[in-house]
Amino acid sequence: MKDYRQEIEGYEQIRREMETLEKYGMGFTAMRGNVARTIDSLHPSRLRLTVSEIRQETQTAKTIRLVSESGMLPSFQAGQYITLFVRIGETRTSRPYSLSSAPHQRGFYDITVRRAEPGFVSPFLLDKLQVGDAIESSSPAGSFIHNPLFHGDRLVFLAGGSGITPFMSMIREATDRGLHRSIHLVYGSRSMDDIIFLDELEDRAARHPRFRVTHVISEPAPWYTGRCGFISKELLEDILDDIPSLTFYLCGPGVMSAHCLRELHDLGVPRRKIRTEMFGPPAHVAADPDWPPHVDPGAVFRVSLGNGPTIPAVAGEPLMVSLEKAGLTVASSCRSGECSLCRTRLVSGTVFHPRSAKLRKSDIRFGYIHPCVAYPLEDLEIEI
Amino acid sequence: MNDYDVVVIGAGNGGLTSALALAKKGCRVLLLERHNVPGGCATSFVRGRFEFEVALHQLSGLGTQDSPGPLRSLLQRLGVLEKVEFVQMDNLFRMVLPGRLDILLKADREEITRALKDRFPAESAGIDRFFDLLYTFCTQLIFGVYGRDPELSRAKYPEFFTYAVKDCRTVMDMFFSDPILKMVVGSYWSYLGLPPDRLPFLDYAIMLFSYIELKPFHIKGGSQALSCALLDSFLEAGGHARLSCGASKILVSDGRVQGVLTEDGREIRTGHVVSNASTLTTYLDMMDRDSLPEGAMRSFSSRTVGTSAFTLYIGFDREPQDMGITDATTFIYLSDDYSRMHSLGRTLERPEWALFSCYDAADPEFSPAGCSQAALLTLQYADPWLSLPADCYAERKYAYAEHLLDMMDLVYPGCRGRIEELEVSTPLTHMRFLGHPGGAIYGFDQYAKDTNLFISPVSPIQGLFFAGAWAGAGGFQPTLVSGQAAARSVLKSLNR
Repeated sequence: MKDYRQEIEGYEQIRREMETLEKYGMGFTAMRGNVARTIDSLHPSRLRLTVSEIRQETQTAKTIRLVSESGMLPSFQAGQYITLFVRIGETRTSRPYSLSSAPHQRGFYDITVRRAEPGFVSPFLLDKLQVGDAIESSSPAGSFIHNPLFHGDRLVFLAGGSGITPFMSMIREATDRGLHRSIHLVYGSRSMDDIIFLDELEDRAARHPRFRVTHVISEPAPWYTGRCGFISKELLEDILDDIPSLTFYLCGPGVMSAHCLRELHDLGVPRRKIRTEMFGPPAHVAADPDWPPHVDPGAVFRVSLGNGPTIPAVAGEPLMVSLEKAGLTVASSCRSGECSLCRTRLVSGTVFHPRSAKLRKSDIRFGYIHPCVAYPLEDLEIEI
Repeated sequence: MNDYDVVVIGAGNGGLTSALALAKKGCRVLLLERHNVPGGCATSFVRGRFEFEVALHQLSGLGTQDSPGPLRSLLQRLGVLEKVEFVQMDNLFRMVLPGRLDILLKADREEITRALKDRFPAESAGIDRFFDLLYTFCTQLIFGVYGRDPELSRAKYPEFFTYAVKDCRTVMDMFFSDPILKMVVGSYWSYLGLPPDRLPFLDYAIMLFSYIELKPFHIKGGSQALSCALLDSFLEAGGHARLSCGASKILVSDGRVQGVLTEDGREIRTGHVVSNASTLTTYLDMMDRDSLPEGAMRSFSSRTVGTSAFTLYIGFDREPQDMGITDATTFIYLSDDYSRMHSLGRTLERPEWALFSCYDAADPEFSPAGCSQAALLTLQYADPWLSLPADCYAERKYAYAEHLLDMMDLVYPGCRGRIEELEVSTPLTHMRFLGHPGGAIYGFDQYAKDTNLFISPVSPIQGLFFAGAWAGAGGFQPTLVSGQAAARSVLKSLNR
């Protein structure tokens, strides 16, 4: 059969053009490995790090300085976090830590770790990790950053406890580089002794007119004369001007965030002016008003993994923790239900996700869960 | 004994439809996907209270229940139609050239020609003649080529043979003189990636015709809903899927596929692979140099890596109508020279066009109550970003995004102050998530020479097949359909 294409007007001309191009055109073999190299230079999947320095910040917090074994650390935006991968005993797990160092120097990454009670990873990092130890992490990620496209340049940071860490990176960047941004840090701590970076914050505030700090102490010593209690509507009204022009950033434990959100709401701050950083799974998930009252958070259910083993899982613990305790690993990054890296298929059974879990509509519809903030409400079957 | 009849690499549109089609025919299929979620481009991500649509703007080829298009028939055959809900859009697009033109084209031939004649009365005759040609040409294409008429000839289908590989601009020049009219009629060029002076009329005509006759659609829950439905049906059909596990190598010996090596080091024996990765990645990075047949790369020399996109995903704390948005699709142009616009896409200079897709204008349930979302984008190649030092990346990204927001401001001035979430993706973002050279979203540039009139997707390696944009054309309909075609070839090779 005759090839009809030869009758198409212009066909022969294009064929000849192709012949020429095949002789003299792009030699794609030179591109071998290019995509992987490009991605790896910007966003390597794993970083091999070494602890170069450990600094005691407060009685309960240390800054751990990490350098890269290869000498190269990817660039990041102030406010982003890395996920540290650790092995404690027989358990492999991971935790996200905001970088507290500034993004304009990349000789090292600093993370600042505060002891959590009871805590699993923080005691390991604070008590066991030594200068010279090797540790792996993810590349920096996260969207708790200053986005100049819609955040404006009048910023208020509401920090609680170790929630100071992403702000420290942003403050260091803005003050060191003289960025045209005004920042007012409102930092809630239990006592003066608990304030992480106290001296550096005071020093930067003294030297930079566009940066201010207000400390709020919940359990003040008798001699303390500053702001006391919790960050409140009244306090914010008192210390801030022109509130409608401000963008608020919140980072701290769940209880503190929830409280600040209510206060901001009462102040009339619209949602689009509030950025909230995730802070791990809820401390007491059964206290969530949506938690089904008939399920005892201490109940233990059986989770079967298709052809794999069946493991026990406590209702009040994130499923991911139960998996890790059983020696299984699921890819994870934010461990707060946002990044979706741990997305897993739920074959049968039901789980509880707090509202903060950011599931896709189709994941809900087709039965996928985020184990880092999924709590078993009965026996489950999952696929990992 | 092979572990699987077929291994499908990549759960993009083409990978999903091929895997599903094969599983439904009783093949033992393993689907591998690097990411933790299926879809490739057809996906979504969550920020704050928004789930952002990544890639779908207007789904073509679906048609209505009464007059189904090829895509509806395909999804019907695959058994996913009842799992997905589609939303028909009444309009093709609104197009704005600030101060010079603001026109709305409905998805209806009569309405389109009326709107065009109202705005360009001097061109009335040309407008009628152009749409006559468009319809004649597409009818001939459908009956003659798609319908495989054994008497396919120039004498029987003269318009098809005359215009098929002419560039779209040349054809428009034969009917129109006002450059702005050509802008309007050629406005969909960005859905194909090349400006009208470089686009084959064949591709443009059938796309425009399909949007008019079969209507543009959106998907409830976004393109992710379709991807998840395809995967769900695949699992129901007995297919095995491994997410978060890519393929690292295709094992070839004696010119035949022997197996696949997964990222986590498992070797899977199979005689057939459908690669939904780019053809370049498949040949260059997933095969040993010596298993590549002599000359396998030669046909690629005539091709060029296509465009990527620079996209802003924006969540607003208002409903569209409160911000003056009534149309889902708006093209915004700052000049009437699309060739120049396309060239600017190779630089970091201010872009001169943008597409603004507000999904909630077509589907009020798309975002949470009281909110809406939009994708604001322009096409851009990866090259200028590749030569930028990493330290400048964020700053340049925001500076470039500013230009797009300025364009949005010109047309929808109420939007800027209502932004609650905003995420920017550059060609490098696409490169990272798709793994494609140049972060290309439509595969290779689609000149006439890149259409299937000239390019055959047949691989010199036995048992290796391709699905997706790199093996044909880009966009949702072509890639979804490509998987079906790949599945057919595999079945033939398996003698089923």
